[in-house]
Amino acid sequence: MVTKAAKAKFLPRQLISGFFKSNFERWLARRIPKRQEHQLNRRNIMIYPSRFGMAYLGFVILVFLLGTNYQNNIILLLSYLLASLFISVMLHSFYNFSQIRFFSLAKQQGYADDTLSFAIKITAEKIHYDINAHFTDRTLNSNIETVEQCQRGSQEFSLRVKSSQRGKHFLGRVTIFSEYSLGLFKSKTVLDFGHYVIIFPKPRRLTLAQYQCSAQEDSASIESYHTANLVGTDDFCELKSFVRGESRARTAWKQLAKGQGHFSKHYQSSQNQLQWLKLSDMPSDELETKLAYLSFLIGEFTTSNQTFGLQLSANIDNSTNTTNTTNTTNTLLNIQPSSGINHQQACLTALALYQ
Amino acid sequence: MIFFNTKVNQQSWGIKQKASSSFYLSRKNSWLLWLCQCLNVAVIGLELSTWMLGIISLALAWQAHLLHQSRDSVRNKKQLKTAKQPGPRQGTRQSKHANNNQNKPVSPIILAVFALLGCLAIAITAKQVGILVSMLHLLCFSYVLKAFEVRSRRDFYQLLLLGLFVLAASLIFRQDLTATLIILTLLVLNLAVLHQLFSYQRKFVANVKVIIMLLTQSALLAVVLFLVFPRLSPFWQVPSAKSAATGLSDTVKPGDIANLTRSTKLAFRADFGQQAIPAYSQLYWRAMVLEDYDGRQWTRQKRFASNKIPGAKIKAFSFDVSKTEVSPLTYQVVAEPSYQKYLFALAPAVAIGDSSGIKAQAGYTFNSTKMLSQAKSYQLSSYLTAPFGVELSQKSKMANLSYPKNSNPRLEQLALQLQHNYVDVMSRAQAVLTLINKENYAYTLQPPLLDNNSLDQFFFDTQAGFCVHYASAFTFLMRASGIPARMVTGYLGGEYNGINDSQQADNTGHLSIYQYDAHAWSEIWIEGKGWLRIDPTSAVDPQRVDSGWSTRLLQEQSALNNDLLSLYQMKNIKWLSALRLQFDALDYQWTRWVIGFNNKQQYDLFKHWFGKMASWKLALIMAVSLVVTMAILMLFLHLLNQPKKKSRSLTKWQRIYQKSLTQLAKQGLDKPVAMTVNDFSKQVRRECPELAIVFTRLSASYNCLCYQPLSAAKQEELTLAMQHQYQHFIHAMKRSA
Repeated sequence: MVTKAAKAKFLPRQLISGFFKSNFERWLARRIPKRQEHQLNRRNIMIYPSRFGMAYLGFVILVFLLGTNYQNNIILLLSYLLASLFISVMLHSFYNFSQIRFFSLAKQQGYADDTLSFAIKITAEKIHYDINAHFTDRTLNSNIETVEQCQRGSQEFSLRVKSSQRGKHFLGRVTIFSEYSLGLFKSKTVLDFGHYVIIFPKPRRLTLAQYQCSAQEDSASIESYHTANLVGTDDFCELKSFVRGESRARTAWKQLAKGQGHFSKHYQSSQNQLQWLKLSDMPSDELETKLAYLSFLIGEFTTSNQTFGLQLSANIDNSTNTTNTTNTTNTLLNIQPSSGINHQQACLTALALYQ
Repeated sequence: MIFFNTKVNQQSWGIKQKASSSFYLSRKNSWLLWLCQCLNVAVIGLELSTWMLGIISLALAWQAHLLHQSRDSVRNKKQLKTAKQPGPRQGTRQSKHANNNQNKPVSPIILAVFALLGCLAIAITAKQVGILVSMLHLLCFSYVLKAFEVRSRRDFYQLLLLGLFVLAASLIFRQDLTATLIILTLLVLNLAVLHQLFSYQRKFVANVKVIIMLLTQSALLAVVLFLVFPRLSPFWQVPSAKSAATGLSDTVKPGDIANLTRSTKLAFRADFGQQAIPAYSQLYWRAMVLEDYDGRQWTRQKRFASNKIPGAKIKAFSFDVSKTEVSPLTYQVVAEPSYQKYLFALAPAVAIGDSSGIKAQAGYTFNSTKMLSQAKSYQLSSYLTAPFGVELSQKSKMANLSYPKNSNPRLEQLALQLQHNYVDVMSRAQAVLTLINKENYAYTLQPPLLDNNSLDQFFFDTQAGFCVHYASAFTFLMRASGIPARMVTGYLGGEYNGINDSQQADNTGHLSIYQYDAHAWSEIWIEGKGWLRIDPTSAVDPQRVDSGWSTRLLQEQSALNNDLLSLYQMKNIKWLSALRLQFDALDYQWTRWVIGFNNKQQYDLFKHWFGKMASWKLALIMAVSLVVTMAILMLFLHLLNQPKKKSRSLTKWQRIYQKSLTQLAKQGLDKPVAMTVNDFSKQVRRECPELAIVFTRLSASYNCLCYQPLSAAKQEELTLAMQHQYQHFIHAMKRSA
């Protein structure tokens, strides 16, 4: 009963705060829309007295009371001076904060547990003081970056985040605030750069032996998982015109004899099998571990400049049996063999987003 | 090399930075804060007890010691760090953290014990020193103790506000211009220390400048607030300031006033407005009438105070204006805080204008109803030559004739002799003065000490004294010879400060009366003439009465005083004297308009500006003026902060090109900012073919001038050519139109 009553009490409150929150969010979205570049102005600066500001006001009232009770004009004058200082500090605070430009790219990606930094570029036309920034979402545990003195021109600082969970995460807005000139006021803005991170699974080292013991009887592909000597010597692949310095042993004598030109033979290790990295092949029962292995392999393959494809769907062989819908997902989850940095990024992104 | 991470699912976000609000003050800032504390306490130091000052200076010294220690540790740390990290910025960061860590806080237990002991001491002495002073003790004590535990920003803020409050509290005791300027300077310093927190890369001087600018901008609003904000009456009773009373006292012994004259403090000021100031020898500022003599000292009579009937009796004391034909002299007196009640007047006088808080006393003096803890201003009308106190009650007569028999036998004998020789009262008094003048009497600030304040000894043996000696002896002689007489203390003369233009009779100055102008004289009562002022000092040192202190007296005073700048030097070094007078004039205006600004003056000001009005109109004016001031402030700051337009002056060819562009714009051809000159000329060719040739030529020359390195002569030539082309262009425009 007690808990129920408490719940009943608690619920509407939550509802109300939720209502206000969502309304506030909507208002913010209208007021400060998502952009890569923001300039601070009347529209997006919020300015309000800090706690010290409130304490200061109380103090001014105290001085006023002192002056009134002692009928002392000088103390009264002091209290008036302090009160009007409050107002001019507000204006100074505002002008110190306005007209700064902030620029930041929305996307960052990296492995889990790596520190990712969002660079934010400040462009200023005059000197600004005490500019602080952090992610509005305090659960991100990001740092508060402080620029003590923001010189004329541009400069950069970065906000760092770190995540241990793979996937795509939206980071929300960035709070930028300043308490410059006396700390009585907090000028604040919450800018939306549309920041998000894509966190790849943290790579986990995989050795030949491991793969062997847990892999299905899929004998052909073993060596390729090994990291050394990746350009293989097994199967003939193509003829390329001879480049000076290449081994004579590789010369395609047949073609040379026919007078078709000087070619050398190139080989590659069993591409048919090995160009596909399959999720289902990974030696683990746990999905996250499998993805971690894949992440490692993708890295290795890219550094050794191999061509590979990524197959996350288990059912690629039986694609004839599957329905249309799964087919489409399969094509999304399977990445055709290729190589290079972009390919690596695409593969890792696929891993990160894998459900 | 097998790695198997056991923790697979780590849900939370990383960077477990400790959310320690790493607050630290840079060393420079800490020292500045310390300095601020010292100065703030010094301002109020005079009001504190000696033991409290001792404790405070002990605490401050301890603080300084801690700061000094932290420097050594930082230095050691720095040396270690620099070996590891040569980066300058990182280095400072590190050392600051080191500072934070190294600065071992004083153990809270020690602090608590210290605080407890201090509070106990304050509580014990509270009865003795009064509430206000013990409150101040508490304030200052907490102010210096708080400095030991500045760990977070909040502590720093608290410390700062406490400091500002100490400054405000010190204004309870002193409000003159000097004190106000000192407080203002300290306010700037305190705020600059606060400001340093937010821009510590800047120099402290730059921060001071910012604060001065901020305060200047705030000043306008503050002044408007001061003028229009309603003056409220006190909300509750507060303990009044009990400072050491200055000036004259209720009892006078021979030698008292001579001590007072060592002080160069201001006693009061008098402003006669446009009227001519009376001669120096007429300026007998009456403060107290002393009628009781016990053989040692003169005291105020208590009897009138004890059994007075309100109304009728008080009327009897005050001067009746209707019976005199003497034209009044109206003036304003601004009395400095003396922590006493008596006020100053040229007898006989009546209070005019706002006479609240002023009470006429017996003996034609005035008292304030409250102790003077602030400057008090009041207006009086004096009838200098009119006789006063013509009717004397029997009781009063008796009081003014009584003296302790056999207290000064030789004087009594002399008095009997005089009574016998001179029947006429006036000639009897004159005889005494002549006696003093003829005999070898000396007027000195250092009279020889008298046994038991014996007047006999003074009059017949030492024959050297200051005004009280002569006035006492004279009054005693008069009483002994059967003439009602009494002693009056007050001030004589005053220093005129202002332009005294005798031709235009336009005085714009005031009299400043200092403590060294303190004086004592006597009054005798004559049937039909009333009380008559007789100053025996005039018989011994006429210059004192006619124009002020003689050079000899000034030198004597300088010898007695060990001030940095003695009065003698002040009066004799010309530029110093001029400076002093200037400052005095400024201080007078300050006292009059700022310290003395009250409800009535505020109301008068409004009436002067806006005419008579209802209270709602007043409120409206207040509100409107505040809003307008704020708007002005905002506008001013807005203009100040507007991004500066590049005020680079355009060259001649640029101006020509701009002119042609505006001509084209009139035709409906606008050049987008991003478009190049060549592209635009192409567009012109397309849209108005008749202008094509002239404009293309113009554009070509413009391009040449802008982008080709040309010699000055060539440039000029081309500019001239461009001017011609522009004229052709205008012609073509006209033709096409």
